[in-house]
Amino acid sequence: MNSHELFLVHTGEVIEEGGLSLGQLCHACDVHAEWVISLVEESIIEPQGEAIQCWRFSGSSLGRVRAALRLQQDLGVNLAGIALALDLLEEIENLRLQIHIAERG
Amino acid sequence: MMEYKDYYKIMGLAREATQDDIKRSYRKLARKYHPDVSKEADAEAKFKELGEAYEVLKDPEKRAAYDQLGADWKAGQDFRPPPNWAEGFEFSGGGFTGGDSGAFSDFFEQLFGRAGFNAAGSTHRGGPTRGQDSHAKIHIDLEDSFLGATRGITLSAPEMDAQSHVQIKHRTLNIKIPKGIKEGQHIRLSGQGHPGEGGGKTGDLFLEIAFNKHPFYRVSDADIYLDLPVSPWEAALGTKIKVPTPEGSVDLKIPANSKQGSKLRLKGRGLPGQVPGDLYVVLQITLPSAETEKAKAAYQKLQQELDFNPRKSLGV
Repeated sequence: MNSHELFLVHTGEVIEEGGLSLGQLCHACDVHAEWVISLVEESIIEPQGEAIQCWRFSGSSLGRVRAALRLQQDLGVNLAGIALALDLLEEIENLRLQIHIAERG
Repeated sequence: MMEYKDYYKIMGLAREATQDDIKRSYRKLARKYHPDVSKEADAEAKFKELGEAYEVLKDPEKRAAYDQLGADWKAGQDFRPPPNWAEGFEFSGGGFTGGDSGAFSDFFEQLFGRAGFNAAGSTHRGGPTRGQDSHAKIHIDLEDSFLGATRGITLSAPEMDAQSHVQIKHRTLNIKIPKGIKEGQHIRLSGQGHPGEGGGKTGDLFLEIAFNKHPFYRVSDADIYLDLPVSPWEAALGTKIKVPTPEGSVDLKIPANSKQGSKLRLKGRGLPGQVPGDLYVVLQITLPSAETEKAKAAYQKLQQELDFNPRKSLGV
């Protein structure tokens, strides 16, 4: 690495609500659009917008699509199972956060 | 040095296990150690180990070749494969048949090769192809989000050199942490992902933000919670006290007759943003210990003066 790179600061872009198109989401997760559409049909991720061309996904969809992919590949879970697992995991995560907030220091 | 891996032990199986046993055991352990599901500290390492063991044992050819090494090896023992050990075996998948090829151990590679890595790259059919996007999680301090910051992060990724050898390459990137970023949000860095092929564009890098645990602030979305110890008389009589916030201390008015656990909101003192979060101060009434004669006398005076039954609601 040269000294130029050492001091180079990269400024990224925060993915806001509705910041990703279907194409961007597919590319980011390296999956086919058909599969992402099936995730939407199962309500695993919920885009804004009506027509597929207008779909916009939030940054949190990134995490859900990638987790869904791992659950399918590693555990052989089907779409309904993925939806159930992700919802329960999210609930556990929320409960953990509540416990963390209520914890006495 | 290369260590022998006991794939049967990893999967909790005897060497006589049937293919059905292997599948069942894999399913069970995969659920236990899957990094998305498990909260065990070493889940990721365990899951990779399990994946590697399953990759070998589920495939009758690889399993037979592995079994041929004999049962006398102990896990972790210094291992060198016997010459021509796999003679007579044709690995129909050409080494790797699936799984995350970058994740397997030296032991696996030595026995089964790493042909799969080439196979993964061979899907390229000419013409420019955009490189894959890559993903990483970074842990930052709450203060980094408050003030904005620059953080150096080190990323590792397998890369293939001209001789098709795979090496883990490390690179350091200085990243600007945008002010007000929240846990779970993603930052996209264009052109910092995997290189493209045939003159295609480089992919993007997605960074997921997580916060380090703070000694006294707890964060929920854009809101921040702070436990504030107060004395019984501060809570009872009301007062003005200094409270820390990530932007420096502020004066906070404690209303008279404040109860244990009551929340006081400092509007807009949470994480900055278009709609800034709030800071919630949670009162923790702290009793002085009655260790000295003076303290005991003060408590006795309270006891005499107040007709106070904290268990009234229990009817006793």
